[in-house]
Amino acid sequence: MTLLRNGEWSDNDAWRLASNDVPLDHADGSYVIALDQFQQMDSMEQSRRSGIMLNPEDDVYALQDHLQSIQLVAINFPKYTDGRGYSQARILRTQLHFSGEIRALGDVRPDQLLFMMRAGITSFQFEAAPNKQTIQQILTRFKANYQPSYALPIAG
Amino acid sequence: MYQYTEYDREFLHARVAEFRDQTERHLAGEIGEDEYKQLRLRNGLYLQTHAYMLRVAIPYGLLSSTQMRKLGHVARVYDKGYGHMTTRQNIQYNWPKLEEVPDLLSELADVDMHAIQTSGNCIRNTTTDPLAGAIADEIEDPRPWCELIRQWSTLHPEFNWLPRKFKIAVTGALSDRAAVQVHDIGLRLRKNDAGDTGFEVFVGGGLGRTPYIGQVINSFLPTQHLLTYLAAILRVYNLEGRRDNLYKARIKILVNAMGIDAFRDKVEQAWANAADSDDTFTQEDIDALKAYFPAAPELAGDVQQPDQMFSNPVFNQWYQANTKPHRDSGRRIVYVSLKAPGTPAGDLTSEQMEEVANLADLYSLGEIRSTHEQNLVLAHVPVDKLFELWTALKQAKLATPNLGKLTDMIVCPGLDFCSLANAGTLAIYDQIYQRFDNLDYLHELGDVSIKISGCMNACGHHHIGDIGILGVDKGGVEWYQLTIGGHAGNAATIGTRLGKAIAKPDVASAIERLLEAYVALRENEESFHDAVKRLGTEPFKEKVYDTAA
Repeated sequence: MTLLRNGEWSDNDAWRLASNDVPLDHADGSYVIALDQFQQMDSMEQSRRSGIMLNPEDDVYALQDHLQSIQLVAINFPKYTDGRGYSQARILRTQLHFSGEIRALGDVRPDQLLFMMRAGITSFQFEAAPNKQTIQQILTRFKANYQPSYALPIAG
Repeated sequence: MYQYTEYDREFLHARVAEFRDQTERHLAGEIGEDEYKQLRLRNGLYLQTHAYMLRVAIPYGLLSSTQMRKLGHVARVYDKGYGHMTTRQNIQYNWPKLEEVPDLLSELADVDMHAIQTSGNCIRNTTTDPLAGAIADEIEDPRPWCELIRQWSTLHPEFNWLPRKFKIAVTGALSDRAAVQVHDIGLRLRKNDAGDTGFEVFVGGGLGRTPYIGQVINSFLPTQHLLTYLAAILRVYNLEGRRDNLYKARIKILVNAMGIDAFRDKVEQAWANAADSDDTFTQEDIDALKAYFPAAPELAGDVQQPDQMFSNPVFNQWYQANTKPHRDSGRRIVYVSLKAPGTPAGDLTSEQMEEVANLADLYSLGEIRSTHEQNLVLAHVPVDKLFELWTALKQAKLATPNLGKLTDMIVCPGLDFCSLANAGTLAIYDQIYQRFDNLDYLHELGDVSIKISGCMNACGHHHIGDIGILGVDKGGVEWYQLTIGGHAGNAATIGTRLGKAIAKPDVASAIERLLEAYVALRENEESFHDAVKRLGTEPFKEKVYDTAA
């Protein structure tokens, strides 16, 4: 796993993804849990959770009342051609005013990074290590764009 | 017309560099076939039956003479010397080589052209009325709005991976020549009682295998809200449109599954939620765009009608069929027919492109429009230059006087080029053309449209032709399904299937019988569409199939 977060590369990360291998009651707050798992918890338990994963079909507004305690929203892209995550990220940033980390995971591809960043995603989890030079180029190539409120990442 | 700024050029050259890099990484094995396909489609590059096909965008169908010359150059250098105009006002090249496409795109960028978003599941080239800014029945010129939409939709970060392709059409005239009701979003400029300008917004129209006429989602959207409202529709579609089935992924399926009222509620909610957090534009922005589209300079009121109108019957026939009144009586709108006998519908050669560019410089303020019926328009021709222009067009085989007539068919490329097609269309076009090559008969018949598609995807718009022809494959044999009564204008109508499919050699004969029925049954000047509306399909069906039996 390779992570690009706020423009910095890293091979380690405090967040772990809850899966079937880790029973939920053993997964502490450092685990990212899926929204549907989160929704089945009582409010006490929910308040101890700070990492949530959205799948494409999830309603991002379901997080509305919980964003105080959430630090990371992971947006899952099971297939890079499924663009729902872009709208989820955009709504999180501009309508729900979430200022924590939004992370793309799943089928994350270098040529999508610029679009993802502009939609509000700040970190990217790659299954296989990508070519860092290619990514640098992709992120700095465009100095102009036609959607000023979807800001370009800082050049460089 | 709109002039690129340094900012636009900077953007476009970055896009060309990006695609060059993507192509190199693909050829080096770093980007796999599937992913490269998605990337190249968003740069207009398809893989067809024999070769790659590049679809170059002509934003809202408007070209300068310089751009047209470049298209001719591209056809000569990178293709086999011709190009094909599409039903979405774009141009297609059928034989580019993959490794040369980045250079080709770079040459286009030199004249502010590109192939961005002419395919792929994203917002496609916005289309409009080819007579915009010239015809009298206009409420407002739609082209500044088209340019606003073009810029906003170009590489929009949120809407580049939609469930399916997305097409927007805009009209500013009372009479709709942009078929706005068969688009994912159709926009019709209108004035309210207070005299303010707004858009009537249609959503969920489309042809393809499940044709729908668009429904009104907003009867008067004040113009300043255009982009936020479009974004709200796109966002609802992006999040809720079906992604499990290619054939049910268009917005028309979502709108019809939800019902227009529920869909409208969703959009209104999304719109209210977004407030002004998404892209907006100022009055200064749109005023600056409007300044790029000034009215044609007014000519002195006493410009002489050409004498040849009365003395030359061939010229007169062309004048009647291929020209229309301009809002300035000193000018005339001229259609350039791309449906000459013996040439594929909508094709033009490098030499013809260059000639049209020259004629545009001489007679039409250096600009050219493409139409969704696959013809060209020179919109501002001084009346006293018409005969000179006609003489030159005739020389270039661009003056066939058949605009709106039976041989002015819309034809998709069909089985000869397209890997989706089930049946050939070009041979059917030829067959019909040869049967009805008598111009006097065509003029007597009046305006009747034939639209031919080689498969269900309906690129030839067969659903909205007076006569629609759909190619189908039955056990490896090509058959043709006829529909009649379709209509693309203000009251858009999906045609009705006439009966069982017709064998390939019999199509022109079936059309002939259909027209015999029409001529026998029409009252006075009744149009084909009105005759079918009044009589239903039955009398036509009897004529076509009884004789066949």
